[in-house]
Amino acid sequence: MLLRLENIAKFYGERPVIRGASLELAAGRTLLLTGGNGAGKTTLLKIMAGLIRPDSGRLTLELAEGEQVGYLGHRTCIYPELSGLENLFFWARLHGLKPGRAALLELMERLGLLPFADERAGIYSRGMAQRLNLARVLLFRPALLLLDEPATGLDTRSRQTLEEEIARAGKAGAGIVWISHRPEEDAAMADEVALLENGRLSLRPAKAAA
Amino acid sequence: MPRISPLALMALLGGLLMAASHPVILLYAPLEEQMGIIQKIFYLHLPLAWWGLFSFFLVFIASLLFLIRRDYFWDTLAEAGAEAGLVLAALTLVTGMIWARVSWNTWWTWDPRLSTTLILSFIYAGYMLTRGLDFSRERRALISAALGIVAFLDVPLVFFSAKLWPQTMHPQVVTGPKAGGLEPEMKLTLFFCLAAFGVFWAALLILRCRLGLAANRLEGLRARLALKENTPKEQDHG
Amino acid sequence: MIRPALILARKDLTLLCLRGNGLSQALLLGLLLIFIFSLARGLAELFSAQTAATVFWVSTLFCQVLIFNALYALEEDNGQRQVLLLIPAPVQSIWLGKALAGLALLLAAQAVFVPAVLIFLDQGLEGRTEWAPGLLILADLGLAAAGSLLGAIAQGRAAKESLLSLILFPLLLPLLLAAIRLGAGILSEPPAQEDLASWFRILIGFDCLFAAAGLVLFPFIYNAQE
Repeated sequence: MLLRLENIAKFYGERPVIRGASLELAAGRTLLLTGGNGAGKTTLLKIMAGLIRPDSGRLTLELAEGEQVGYLGHRTCIYPELSGLENLFFWARLHGLKPGRAALLELMERLGLLPFADERAGIYSRGMAQRLNLARVLLFRPALLLLDEPATGLDTRSRQTLEEEIARAGKAGAGIVWISHRPEEDAAMADEVALLENGRLSLRPAKAAA
Repeated sequence: MPRISPLALMALLGGLLMAASHPVILLYAPLEEQMGIIQKIFYLHLPLAWWGLFSFFLVFIASLLFLIRRDYFWDTLAEAGAEAGLVLAALTLVTGMIWARVSWNTWWTWDPRLSTTLILSFIYAGYMLTRGLDFSRERRALISAALGIVAFLDVPLVFFSAKLWPQTMHPQVVTGPKAGGLEPEMKLTLFFCLAAFGVFWAALLILRCRLGLAANRLEGLRARLALKENTPKEQDHG
Repeated sequence: MIRPALILARKDLTLLCLRGNGLSQALLLGLLLIFIFSLARGLAELFSAQTAATVFWVSTLFCQVLIFNALYALEEDNGQRQVLLLIPAPVQSIWLGKALAGLALLLAAQAVFVPAVLIFLDQGLEGRTEWAPGLLILADLGLAAAGSLLGAIAQGRAAKESLLSLILFPLLLPLLLAAIRLGAGILSEPPAQEDLASWFRILIGFDCLFAAAGLVLFPFIYNAQE
């Protein structure tokens, strides 16, 4: 099992945000995480990423040597003063890769960013910046991909690209946990849907949800 | 008959001991030959300084324990310790300044102990400011703990650098190469005052700590109440 | 840990140089302080070497606060902190990277402050000038280690520069005292009886303390919480 949560609980101050969440995610499966505003979806996702420490419960991540976790939120993570290509170079090197210019340009082409590769990322539109952010994650082929409403505020074209790439990563064997800002539409792409409500997690197959 | 809490007893004992320390200081302890009556402020100054420094040590220990155990009790204790320490350090400075005014004819001069106390006050005032920031509770506790540890580890450096700085002389009364210049009656008075201030300090600390824990509990109850109102149909709120 | 730190430091230096704003603010503030202090001199009076050294290090301290605030602000604009924490390297490499970038910027700023102090405060290099590189490196190492550790408190913009200086300056006092005495000894011949080697020991002790604190405590201060 790629990811396993056992009875995870998290408090903010004395306020319980998550109370006993358990789930399992196998490689190549996509889980859609739904719930109302402030239900703690982002917190749960950050716990899965290992970014936030749960107050109790167990988190198990089974990653092979060299496998990494990718996190794609609605914020773009770009450095506006650097060009798109320089942004990617920076992240690639931090992730321990030594990519050639050609490989990065190929990735940028796939995401429709090639004409702007050497432009300052500061002039990118929100959609372009978010596609660059997507490229940052795809670079290191994450074994677990965590998505926190990445499509918020995107144009149709960028959203399509994003969804194509998510599907592609899933087919390539990545486990995906996805918080979507429009769960009804996106449920079709998921294998399972989880609902976070009052700090508790309930699971159901995607077909029933759709 | 209402039960008397141990804390109230402690506070009472501390108050009585502190009141009793005054006749002991003024009547029992002999008059110091060179410095005269002003030397008696030393019996207040030193206990304040010792317990103040001990408070900061307590912040250090509580901070370490919080980082290891992640139990918010230690965070509350660290906060209580820092507050108590700041009060005592401020009083140490005031008594020290009065002493300096009379014996050296100046309110402030560079002296390693006084300067260290002043610098420590600044450090822990900064610590309290950080605690007052609008952080989430977990983050505030983590940052405060890290600061509480760094601050205390900095103390020896502060002291040695203050000692190395060009300076005037401070009477070295208890420790150091010229130790032993204290009459037995003076020593006894000093220990009495140390104990009196110690009891008072401990009562203050426990009181402040209980206040902090009560505040935490209140926040919890309020959060639970808010949750209950938002989710009327739910059965199992723990 | 070293490699990611170097990559990060290089990126930070590039960004701050391109942005220009953060760095020039720090430089200008330092220069302004030196100039304003030069007003404290009456006609026909001379600044002592100690006064000049104090002004120099106070300018450096303010510069340090602005530098580390700017360095950590770089990761806040577009949510980079979250994903920076996910790189396959210890969190401490971020501390090290920011410290290295800060060290380079501090040295660059001092390259401007040294002549400024010599000119505005009318000082000469008449003491133990051979100690200057050692003093600058040792003091700046401590400033970088401490600044990088505590600058991370400003994460999420909860703490402003003013607060950062209130936390940092008292902790930095041992370093400041040492740097002032040694700086004075470089500007004019130090008194024979003063034990200047001990001041170097204080500097080294400070560097070690904050290097260790950075390595152990940084993960508690810098994390994914908002």
